[in-house]
Amino acid sequence: MSRKTTPTASSDTWERIKAQFGNWSLTTYGILGFAFLYVPIVILVIFSFNDARSISKWAGFTTEWYGKMFRDGQIMLSIWNSLFLAIVSTIIATILGTLVALGLERYNFKGKTAVDSMFYLPVIIPDIAMAIMLLLFFNMSGIGFTPWKVTFFGTKLAVPYSVIIGHVAFNTSFVAIVVRARLTQMDRTLEEAANDLYANAWQTFRRITLPMLMPGIIGGALLAFTLSLDDFVITFFTSGAGFNTLPVRVFGMIKKGVTPKINAVSTLMLAVSLTLVVISILLSKRSDDGGSVKMGF
Amino acid sequence: MERLRRNPQLQAWLILAIPVAFILIFFMAPLLIVFIYSFLERGKYGGVEWAFTLENIRRVFDPLYFKTFLRSAYIAIVTTLITLALGYPLAYFIAKSPPKRRGMLMFALMIPFWTNFLIRTYAWVMLLRTHTGLINVTLTNWGVIDKPLPLYGNDFAIILGLVYGWLPVMVLPIYAALERLDESLLEAARDLYASSSKAFWRVTWPLSLPGVAAGAMLVFIPSLGAFVTPAILGGGKSLMIGNIISNQFLGAHDWPFGSALSMVMMVAMLVATLFYFKWTKKTEATT
Amino acid sequence: MTETNAVEIQEVVKQFGNVVAVNHVSLQIRDGEFFSLLGPSGCGKTTTLRMIAGFEMPTSGAIYIYGERQGYRPASKRPVNTVFQNYALFPHMTVAENIAFGMEMQKVDKNEIQRRVAEALEMVQLGQMANRKPKQLSGGQQQRIALARALVNRPKVLLLDEPLGALDLKLRKAMQIELKTLQEEVGITFIYVTHDQEEALTMSDRIAVMNNGVVHQVGDPESIYEHPADQFVADFIGETNFIPVTVVSVGPEKVVELGTGEKVTVGWIEEGVKMGDKAVLSIRPEKMDLLEPHQVPRTPASGVAYVKSKVRHLVYVGTDTRHTVILGDGSEVVVRLQNIYIGDEPWEIGEEAILTWNAAHARVLKE
Repeated sequence: MSRKTTPTASSDTWERIKAQFGNWSLTTYGILGFAFLYVPIVILVIFSFNDARSISKWAGFTTEWYGKMFRDGQIMLSIWNSLFLAIVSTIIATILGTLVALGLERYNFKGKTAVDSMFYLPVIIPDIAMAIMLLLFFNMSGIGFTPWKVTFFGTKLAVPYSVIIGHVAFNTSFVAIVVRARLTQMDRTLEEAANDLYANAWQTFRRITLPMLMPGIIGGALLAFTLSLDDFVITFFTSGAGFNTLPVRVFGMIKKGVTPKINAVSTLMLAVSLTLVVISILLSKRSDDGGSVKMGF
Repeated sequence: MERLRRNPQLQAWLILAIPVAFILIFFMAPLLIVFIYSFLERGKYGGVEWAFTLENIRRVFDPLYFKTFLRSAYIAIVTTLITLALGYPLAYFIAKSPPKRRGMLMFALMIPFWTNFLIRTYAWVMLLRTHTGLINVTLTNWGVIDKPLPLYGNDFAIILGLVYGWLPVMVLPIYAALERLDESLLEAARDLYASSSKAFWRVTWPLSLPGVAAGAMLVFIPSLGAFVTPAILGGGKSLMIGNIISNQFLGAHDWPFGSALSMVMMVAMLVATLFYFKWTKKTEATT
Repeated sequence: MTETNAVEIQEVVKQFGNVVAVNHVSLQIRDGEFFSLLGPSGCGKTTTLRMIAGFEMPTSGAIYIYGERQGYRPASKRPVNTVFQNYALFPHMTVAENIAFGMEMQKVDKNEIQRRVAEALEMVQLGQMANRKPKQLSGGQQQRIALARALVNRPKVLLLDEPLGALDLKLRKAMQIELKTLQEEVGITFIYVTHDQEEALTMSDRIAVMNNGVVHQVGDPESIYEHPADQFVADFIGETNFIPVTVVSVGPEKVVELGTGEKVTVGWIEEGVKMGDKAVLSIRPEKMDLLEPHQVPRTPASGVAYVKSKVRHLVYVGTDTRHTVILGDGSEVVVRLQNIYIGDEPWEIGEEAILTWNAAHARVLKE
């Protein structure tokens, strides 16, 4: 019934060769795949040190472009803007997002599904759609693009409230997702033990729940901070005239032409992103009880 | 206070009051505004006239604009397919790696994704530009080509940029599905005389489909609504829906039309998402 | 060999890194027999099975199936089929598609596939489940489908890896009988892996008892039970008493001395045990009896041991009662007495009793 043949020494070897070849080609593909992802970034970083105006020919190593970048008043202003915006929106979004997570995870009420879905919308809506709807709203509602004039680390900034609100709008949902994931993993019996030991609801929350939730809250805050720093589309449409964050500035520069200065700015942004990622990993490693939501997309 | 403690519903609303208010005012209301604007007339000096009209919706389906919709859909679909073709083997590679290495590889995969999307797209501008791009300049210098290759300012560049940007997102759910796969199912297939390729197509592939579908959705939706990628890789021409919508607000000041375009785009995405949910429900019931 | 063995394993070694899972195992499994690999977790029985199936390759040694050396042949090319411990039914295919799978891979004609699938379903009495998905079936039903899926390919040898482990007790016992009957009807060689010695004793024609990658004994159930070859087999199979003794003489009369100084004759001494060695006397609880001191015959029968003991503990287990007695030197011995004697007075704790057994049932094993 079976179509088997007696194996000879050579068909033995052929089987092994086939198996080895399969493994080898898969590994090669894996390497190529990762190369595809990393090579453009690496080239970009390399050419930020190019001693020439063009980025198509290597002409020697220099850090001149970084110097140019730091002396460029507009770029520096946009950096301060980005930082301020990120900090403010993160703080607000973290508080709101944590409230959302607690409210949705710990309680059941009529209309919960609706509220739950509502908070998912900012995550799934395409950013261009969210950007223009905020644009319309701010225009129509008379809030306009009034700026918050503030001095931040010695620099005078004028950050439109509209941008802050826009960032809070999408960041809240992301924070909520991260914190909620952490909440579901939490051991409820610890809170029950606290109650058993005469702690009331507020004390339990403050002394047990909140500290245990902290890694998740910090994780969410880091995520919000990163998203805010990196955001382009929503910032671009909600800033009215003249307000630049770093990504918006870069976009303008790219439209004008390609120079190593853009590479330098890009490399800076990459370094910041990477640092934030490393920080979040270190933090999640320290909170050993499973706070691994860094992949939480 | 006592009434508060006894009533969990009240507690819930108290906790959620501020965030819900925020999202109602600054998200739901704007969404509603866009919806309403789609049916208003364009004002003489920008802005809107409060008169009901279906003209905007009709214009969306006008061949001139609808063509762009179709092109955006085409680009999004092609991007999704290419990302799938490139991403599936990559997910497979990671899933088949020794367990200790998998975490590291997934981390290495996600790092590019956590960096700025604009920067990652700019890297390709640097590489693909026709006369000053690194690829063309290098190939010309090496004598491989006489004329620069048309790698920029066209669909190719946009698709490449989108694939590059969203590849990690395609890999993630496929990897999750493959990792969960029960090894003994594959052994059973081999025990039942299936060759490696048959075992893959009859067992591994069907069981990884939920991951594939999730990845496809996660790539298709943002690709359809792409703005940045066509803006800087498309060579300054308005090539995708996102750019046309942007123009209505920043250039032409035709807000109702821009709103209508947005609405249609969002409805299209909603429909796609609903199909996806229905499909997952169906396969979940039987797997 | 006059007729070809179904499976022959010659000096097979399997090493995973530093761990030797299978250590120079040799077995000859006969055509048409129900052969079990029995042993505790980690003894190498499953690894051995997987090497026969082709999921692992031996580090050294050879495996033959009906005289054909398997070499590096992958599983998909071997004339054997496997029933997996977790059934490994394809969740995205119907029951019928699962059963048909192997035949599809061998490019069997569509009509014949249909016919044989129906036949297989009939054989396991699940004809009406053809279009259900595995998820919709109970554990016992899934197990039978896994069996049907393997057997429908008419393999020369069927390999079963603890297939009944996930079933509850009653179902397991029923399936044991079913499997045995099936095997006798179909006539295929079954190689069965289990850690449950009762299961192996019930179903097998022959058993290989394994531990730490080594085969301790091969034999039919009766031989394994009545004549265990060493302490591991005696202990693993059924229940046994181990009484420490010193060997007085190894032949022609086999005599050992208990810790109390009493001397008894025994039926068998393990090879390698010499005069003067410390050893253990292995005897099963049901092979012994308790007598009242006045019941000992004035001329004790030769080959029967009479040892002084005191009753320590009684446990009633339904069919019999386990009596734990203590010997003069403190050694504990368990005796099982069937609860069939009406009218007799039961033994009481603290009573003096004479422990008695027939030397034929006493085996002396290496310490």
